[in-house]
Amino acid sequence: MALGAGTILEARDLCLRFGAVEALKSVSLSVHAGSIHALIGPNGAGKSSLLNCLSGFYHPWSGAVLFQGKDIGAKSPPARSVLGIGRTFQGIQTYPSMTARENILTGFHSQMRGGVFSALFRLPHTLRQEEAFTERAEEIIAFLELEQDRHRTVGDMSYGLRKRVDLGRALATDPKILIMDEPMAGMSPEEKGDLARFILDIRDHFGIPVVLVEHDMDVVMDISDQVTVLEFGKVIADGPPEAIANDESVITAYLGAAEPAA
Amino acid sequence: MRPTGISFDSFTAEARVLETRRARVWLLVLCAVLLVLPFVSGPWLLGQLSYAFITLIAVYGLFVTVGMAGQINIAQSAFVGVGAFTAAKLSGLGVPFWIVIPAAALITGAISVLFALPAARVKGFYLALTTLAAQVMFPIVILALPMSWLGGLVGMPVVAPKLFGHSLGGPKEFYWLALLFAAVATWCAFNLPRSRLGRALRAVHDNDTAASVMGIPVTRIKIEAFFAGALFAGVAGALTAYFLQFVTVSSFTLFASVWYLGMLIVGGIHSPLGPILGVAFITIVQEGLHKISNLLLQSDSGIGGGAVFSLSSILLALCILFALIFEPRGLAHLWHTTKTTFRLWPFPRN
Repeated sequence: MALGAGTILEARDLCLRFGAVEALKSVSLSVHAGSIHALIGPNGAGKSSLLNCLSGFYHPWSGAVLFQGKDIGAKSPPARSVLGIGRTFQGIQTYPSMTARENILTGFHSQMRGGVFSALFRLPHTLRQEEAFTERAEEIIAFLELEQDRHRTVGDMSYGLRKRVDLGRALATDPKILIMDEPMAGMSPEEKGDLARFILDIRDHFGIPVVLVEHDMDVVMDISDQVTVLEFGKVIADGPPEAIANDESVITAYLGAAEPAA
Repeated sequence: MRPTGISFDSFTAEARVLETRRARVWLLVLCAVLLVLPFVSGPWLLGQLSYAFITLIAVYGLFVTVGMAGQINIAQSAFVGVGAFTAAKLSGLGVPFWIVIPAAALITGAISVLFALPAARVKGFYLALTTLAAQVMFPIVILALPMSWLGGLVGMPVVAPKLFGHSLGGPKEFYWLALLFAAVATWCAFNLPRSRLGRALRAVHDNDTAASVMGIPVTRIKIEAFFAGALFAGVAGALTAYFLQFVTVSSFTLFASVWYLGMLIVGGIHSPLGPILGVAFITIVQEGLHKISNLLLQSDSGIGGGAVFSLSSILLALCILFALIFEPRGLAHLWHTTKTTFRLWPFPRN
């Protein structure tokens, strides 16, 4: 796969092993600017391994990860976050003892300045900075419709709301691309609908491309522009959702032979 | 929850600790009472309060390292000791106290960074052990150094602080000095949670994996947690040196480190109010038991001194146990829930 025009994030021939298990076998992926790119596949297909290679938790044995054309293979997760690779997590990974707004404010960490002394003495420039970034946090709160919950402790919130806070925190890191690991898992249909709408808005209003791993086929087929199917660590299909839904190998491997997806 | 009828025109105004006019008036009254206290009280109470202020500053340091960042530290007393010896040495060289105290804070902070490095790799019990090593090493190092450096086994005298030629060594003057630094430390401790660093500390405490992906340099923040905590310890140490006017390694023991932790836990580790309530509670109980045991010893009850002292230790331990069983989140949490109950009355606080 060559680096096409408008490709923002690219994985080239990634190989990853855990002992005898080959998690990824020469996996390539390219995410285009302004698109929603879904990764699907049965359990153990290597979806999360691939995401973790993209966000820097795992280092592939061979192959390269390119972000905006530059090799970022050697960079740590926080360094990739600073570069503009945002990430939300599987399950609940928010900060439970903090309020929704504080959770979102932590996302601004690498854009803010000031260490121990500015924190202890609340110097004038600290105050101006707090004011400006709280303003931006409030914009995210308004976008995610969290106004009622801004001062609630996240540990006391429902699952769906916590996932929304997680998304808000990722948006605060000012990402150029957003990687979401199973954002819909465990959500009610209403919560899924809300989140799907937020993901579409992130693409359309913020212009941020989204890479997501998702098991809910209805959601994947509805919102994604591009779908990559993994099985046993290999890419078995890659294309727009309509093509994937009719792809023979995908139907037999994943969606089930008798019943093509809606 | 907030009291009703409050509006803001900026986010920094919203972040105020004292939300109502009434709260601000009460704080002013408290400050005024504390300031005029030396004119009406005897030296015993002033000494007790001065020592409580110093303890409070040290416990604020633990609040930063343990309460906010979740990095266990059982060497706070050793860090206070570093501050004290630094102050003793510098004051002996003729440095004025208003340079000695910040310098002691910075030097203690720098030394704490050395012991914070293990925090980059180890967590929980293992980190507790490495900080324990700092506590154990402190007297060994002081005793191993040449006598002329830090006094060795004998210790070092401390020159009383002087301001415009007046000595601040008397109980009244020292009380004001300790009050000033306790007030500044309180202000700092309440500022920290509302800052970039404060939120990063709590993020590392709650979920360090997520924090690192969100662009928070976790190792650096853990080191800053120790550094900030040791700044408080350094100030507390310098004040201890001026208070005792003599420093020896035997004043800075593991026992004291554990007491600092006990005060923080009883008061509540997650709120800057916790150290105030914890230090006040433990000091009052300690002193109360002390008075009662003195009365018992003077009466003809026939109870021996040894029995009285062990009984008072057991009672103190029981007080702490009960505080923990009935309010594991500390007295600060009890304070907050009580306030909410009154604000919502007559409706129930779910």
